[in-house]
Amino acid sequence: MKLTFHLNGRMIELEAGPTAFLVDVLRSTGLTGTKEGCGMGVCGACTVLVDDRPVSSCLYLAPCVDGADVWTVEGLAERFPQVVDAFVAEEGMQCGICTPGQVAAVCALTLEKPAAAEPEIREYLNGNLCRCTGYQTIVAAAKAALDA
Amino acid sequence: MAPRIDAVAKARGATRYAADTMLPGMCHAVLVRSPVKHAWIGGFDLTAARAVPGVIGVFTANDMPEITFGRRVKDIPILARGKVRFIGERVAAVVAETRAQAEEAALRVDVQYEELPPVLDATAALEPGAQAVHDSPWEYPGAVVTKADPVNTQSHVTSGDAAEANELLARSAHMVDKTYATPSGHQGYLEPQACVASVQDGTIQVWASDKSPYRVRDELAACLKLDPSDIVVHPVAIGGDFGGKGLIGETPLCVQLARLTGRPVKLAVRYSEDLSATSPRHSMALRVRAGCDRDGRLQVLRVDAVADGGAYAGFKPRVNVDLSGLGDAGSPYRIPAVHTDVRIAYTNSVPRGHMRAPAAPQTTFAVESALDELALKVGIAPVELRRRNLLRGGEPNIHGITWAQCRGQETLDAALGAASGQCPAPAGWLTGRGVGVYDRHTTRAARTSLRLAAEDDGGIRAEVAVPETGTGSHTVARRILAEGLGVPEDTVRVVHVPTDELPYDRGAGGSRVSVGLGAVAAAAVKAWADRGEQNAVTVEIDDDLGADVTSYCVQIADVAVDPATGEIRVLRIVSAVDVADILNPAAHSMQLDGGTAMGYGFACLEDLQIEDGQVWSGTLGEFKLPSTRDVPPLDTVLVTGGSGIAPLNIKAAGELTNVPTAAAIANAVAAATNVRVRSLPIRAETVWAALQHERTTTGGRV
Amino acid sequence: MTDPEFVAPTMLHHVLDVVGVDDAIIVSGGTSLAVMLKQRLIEPEKLVWLGRVAELKGIRQAADGSWRVGACTTLAEVAASPELWRDAPMVAQAASVVANPRIRNVATVGGALVHADPRQDLPPALLAAGAIVGIRGPGGERLVPLRNGFFRGLMETAVEHGEVVTHVCVPPRRDAVEAYRRFTPQSVDDYPTVSVAARLERKDSGRAGQLNLALGGVAPTPVLVQTDVANAAAAARAAASPTSDERGSAEYKTAMAEVWTQRVLAELLEGET
Repeated sequence: MKLTFHLNGRMIELEAGPTAFLVDVLRSTGLTGTKEGCGMGVCGACTVLVDDRPVSSCLYLAPCVDGADVWTVEGLAERFPQVVDAFVAEEGMQCGICTPGQVAAVCALTLEKPAAAEPEIREYLNGNLCRCTGYQTIVAAAKAALDA
Repeated sequence: MAPRIDAVAKARGATRYAADTMLPGMCHAVLVRSPVKHAWIGGFDLTAARAVPGVIGVFTANDMPEITFGRRVKDIPILARGKVRFIGERVAAVVAETRAQAEEAALRVDVQYEELPPVLDATAALEPGAQAVHDSPWEYPGAVVTKADPVNTQSHVTSGDAAEANELLARSAHMVDKTYATPSGHQGYLEPQACVASVQDGTIQVWASDKSPYRVRDELAACLKLDPSDIVVHPVAIGGDFGGKGLIGETPLCVQLARLTGRPVKLAVRYSEDLSATSPRHSMALRVRAGCDRDGRLQVLRVDAVADGGAYAGFKPRVNVDLSGLGDAGSPYRIPAVHTDVRIAYTNSVPRGHMRAPAAPQTTFAVESALDELALKVGIAPVELRRRNLLRGGEPNIHGITWAQCRGQETLDAALGAASGQCPAPAGWLTGRGVGVYDRHTTRAARTSLRLAAEDDGGIRAEVAVPETGTGSHTVARRILAEGLGVPEDTVRVVHVPTDELPYDRGAGGSRVSVGLGAVAAAAVKAWADRGEQNAVTVEIDDDLGADVTSYCVQIADVAVDPATGEIRVLRIVSAVDVADILNPAAHSMQLDGGTAMGYGFACLEDLQIEDGQVWSGTLGEFKLPSTRDVPPLDTVLVTGGSGIAPLNIKAAGELTNVPTAAAIANAVAAATNVRVRSLPIRAETVWAALQHERTTTGGRV
Repeated sequence: MTDPEFVAPTMLHHVLDVVGVDDAIIVSGGTSLAVMLKQRLIEPEKLVWLGRVAELKGIRQAADGSWRVGACTTLAEVAASPELWRDAPMVAQAASVVANPRIRNVATVGGALVHADPRQDLPPALLAAGAIVGIRGPGGERLVPLRNGFFRGLMETAVEHGEVVTHVCVPPRRDAVEAYRRFTPQSVDDYPTVSVAARLERKDSGRAGQLNLALGGVAPTPVLVQTDVANAAAAARAAASPTSDERGSAEYKTAMAEVWTQRVLAELLEGET
C-alpha cells in the first residue's frame, strides 16, 4: 500500500504491507533510532508520537499512519532540544536501548502534562522499561525537561 | 565534569546497535525452532518453505559444519543435528529478502519429530537410570564430566570436607537445615540478540550484540575452520548485557548463512524468542545447613545445591563449568568449616547461562535467609548475628584469602545508620526490616589493548577494544586518559574499533572493565610519554594486578505487608557499599541503583516459569521487569576511603547491589509476618496463605 | 498467509458493506489485534479499520442523560473526559489505569468490549454502570445491555460476524457513588489479579440501596453481582469462579474478590458520610 504522511515534519511517501508495523516501516527508512524491544507494547523502546500522542510503534499497523503526523526520536531531538539536553545533563541512560523511547515519552509528557510532579512523571513513564539505571536518572531527566 | 561520551548520540537515537546495521543487498534470516522438548529429527520437508516468494534458501544442520561450540564445554550445535533437546532449539533457518517473507516461510518448514521421553527435573535427571539428554556428554570438547558421573551431569563441584562439616553440624549448639528454591529469570536486556554477517573479498564481517568481540572472532574461526585474521568483528553498542550478551549464540549460524547465500544476512531474534530460548539464569534448589555455638558464632556452613542447566552447558565459561556464586557461599563471614556441593544437570529445557553475579543472588538469598532463621534459634537479632560473624581485617576468609582491607563491620554500621528512622507504612499493614550481606572480590586480571594517536586538530584519538555495554566504560577511559595525559577531557576522543585494529581484549563482564581500562590507560600514558617521534602508540596488557580486594554490600529492606491480601510493599532499600575511588560518580551510582532494582525484581517479580520443559512467561507481559513505579525508594550510602586495585585504586561495582536484595526483603517479610518464604519470587499469595494458616491454626496473631 | 486487504472506510454504512464478506476482521485501535496477528492466532483476508469513521468517535450526551461513547473513542479520551469523571467516574478511572499511555492513546472502548479479555479494566466498570452496547449489522441497530448477555465467554461476545459495535451508552450515576479498583500484588504494570467496579445506589432516604458490583479476573467474563451492602462480600465470593494462573490460585482470587469488594464498599460508604 502507498502511504503518505508527515515524518519528523516532512511529507513522506512509501510502500508498506497491510500488516506491516510502524516500527519496521520507520526503521526501513533508515531511522533506526526507534527500537523494537518486547514487540508487545510493554517495554516502550519503540515509542513514537503519532499526532503528538505517544504510541507503541510495534503494535501500530503502518496503514493507520496514512495522513498522520509521525515523530521519531530523530525528529523529536530537533523539536525538543531541551529534552535531549535534560537526558544528557542528568545522564538518564546507560546502555541506551530504551533511551529513544524514554525521550519520546518525555517529549509527549511536556506536551500533555507540562506541570507534572514526580508521582505523575513516574506514572506516565511506568510503561517505559529500563533494565540498567533503576530509573532515578530518567525521572530526574524528565523533571529537568519539564523545568526547562 | 563532562557528560558521558555516548549521551548525546543515545538521547538522539543515533547510536548504532547490531540490529541497526543495514548493508547493501542484505537479506533476513528467521529461525525455525523446535516445538517439542526431546526428539529425534526424522526428516525435513522444505519444499513449501522454499516456494514462498522472496525465499533465498532454507537450511538445516546438513548445511552447517559438523561441530559444536560453547564457552567451555563445546556442546551446542549451530543447528540441531539429529536430535532436539528443548522447546525453542534452532532446527532450521530461512533466509529471504524480507523478514516478513522469512517468517512466513519458517512456518512452512515441516520437521518430523520422533519424540523421546523428556528429562524435566534437575534432581531426577541426576539419578541412576535417568533418560540421557546427551548420549555421551563426556566426549564434548571441554567437558568436565566422565563416564562415571550420572549421565546428565554438566558439572559437579565441591569444596571443603563433608565429613568435617557434618561433624561440626552435629556438635553445633544451634543448627538450621532448610531448603530454598529460586526460579529461572531472563537477564532482561531490552535489546534482543542480533547479528549481521557479510562476506566481503574473502573476509567475514560481523556485527553482533556480543560484549566480547575478540572471543566471537576466535570462536567463529574455530567453528568455521577459518583463521581469526579472516574475520572482523565490528563495534556496535550493546543494548544491555547483565551476563546474557557473551554467548556467541546465533553468530556462527548467521555467518554460515552469509557464506551459503553469498549475501549479507541479518539474524535478529524477536524478544519472545529471546525470553524463551536464549540463556536465562539457572533455576536452583539449595539446601543450607548452618551451625553456630551458643553465642551465635558460626561453626559450619554446608550448602548442597542442584541447578538446572538446561539442554546445553556451553554458556558457562568457568574452567569447572560451575557458577562462582555457589562456591562463595558464606564468604562475608568467619566460618571455620564450609562445605559446598553443587551439581548442575542437563534437562530438556532452555540452556541456562550467566546473569549478573552468576549464582550469587540465589546463594545469598538462601544463606542469608538461613542465617536469620539461625538467629531466631540463638535468640539474638539478625543484625547481631552478622556483627558477631563478619570477617575482620587480617582474618582469612573461607577460601583462605586475607583481603587487603576488610570492611564488613563498617559497611553494616553505615547501612544501619542510613536506615535509621521509620518508613511510613499504610495503616493496618505489618511492618518489618531485613538485612542481607554480600561481598565480592574485584577481579585482578586485566587483558585488553588501547591505541593512542595524535589527531590533526591537536586532540588525541583513543582506540579501545572493549565494547560499551552501558556501564559508562568509554567515558571512564576518556577521563583516566585525560588525567594521565594532562589534557582536557574534551580533547580525548574514545573510539571503539574493529577487532582487526587492536590486539586481544577479553570483553566486558565479570565487573572487570574499569580495572582493565585503568591498567591499559596507565600503560598507554607511559608509552605516549616515551613515544619519541611516533604519532601513535599501541599498548597491550595481560596482567595480574595482584591485589586481593573485596567490597562489602549490606542492604536493609523495610517492608509493609497487607495482612488481608499478603501484598508486599517494599518501603525502602538502603544499600551500603564499600568503595575505593570512584571514576565516574554518576555511572557508579546508576550501576548501584540499577543493581538494586534488579535485585528487587529477583525478589518480588521475575519468574520465567519453566515448567514441564517449557517457558511459560514468554513475553514481557508475563515476565515482569520492575517498572518506574515498582522500584522502591532507594538510598545508597558509600563507605568511602577504601583501598582498591592499582593503579587507579578502584573496586568493582557492577555485581554488588543486585545480590543481597532478595534476602533482605525475604528477611523483612519474615520479620513483619513470621512467614518465612523460602522460594522466589516472594508472592503475595504465599504470604497470605501462610497468614491464613496461622489464623486458622492458632486463632491468629494478626 | 497472503497479505490481507486493508480498507479504511469513512462512513459506517461502508463499513457494514465490507465486514460481512470474506474473513474480514475489524480493526479499531488494533493493540490486541496486533498481538494476535503477530502470534498468527488470526489470519484475516481483510482488515477493516474504523479509525476514519468520524461517527464512531466522541463522547456526547443522549436525550435521556446517558453518555454515548463512540466505539472508536480511545481509552485516553475516556480518561480525559470531565463529564465521565463526573457522571461515571469508575469508567473514567478504569480507562485511566489500562496498561500505559501508549496503549490508552490507541486502544478503544469498542475494542475493549469486543476483545472480551476478562483481565481488562474497562469491561467491569461498564458492566457495573449498566452500560448498553449499540451494535449495527445488516439488519439494522440493536442495543444489548452488558448486563444481559453481551459477554458470552472467554473472548466471546454477542457481536456477530458482519456486525459492528458503534457505541456504548453509559447511564450517569446521578446520586449513586462508585469506584473501580484493581489489585496488582506483584508489578503495578500488570493485569489485575482481581478487579472490582461498584456503583452503589442511594435510596430516597439517602441510605445505601442497590449495589451493582462487577468483578474482573474471576471468571471467563466480567461478572455482575446485584446485591446490597450487607450481602456484598459473600455474594462476590459466591460469584467468583476463577481459574488458577500466574496471577493467583483460584482460592486466592476468590478470597481477594471478597476482600476488595469490602474495601471498595468501605471507600464508598466512607464517601457517603
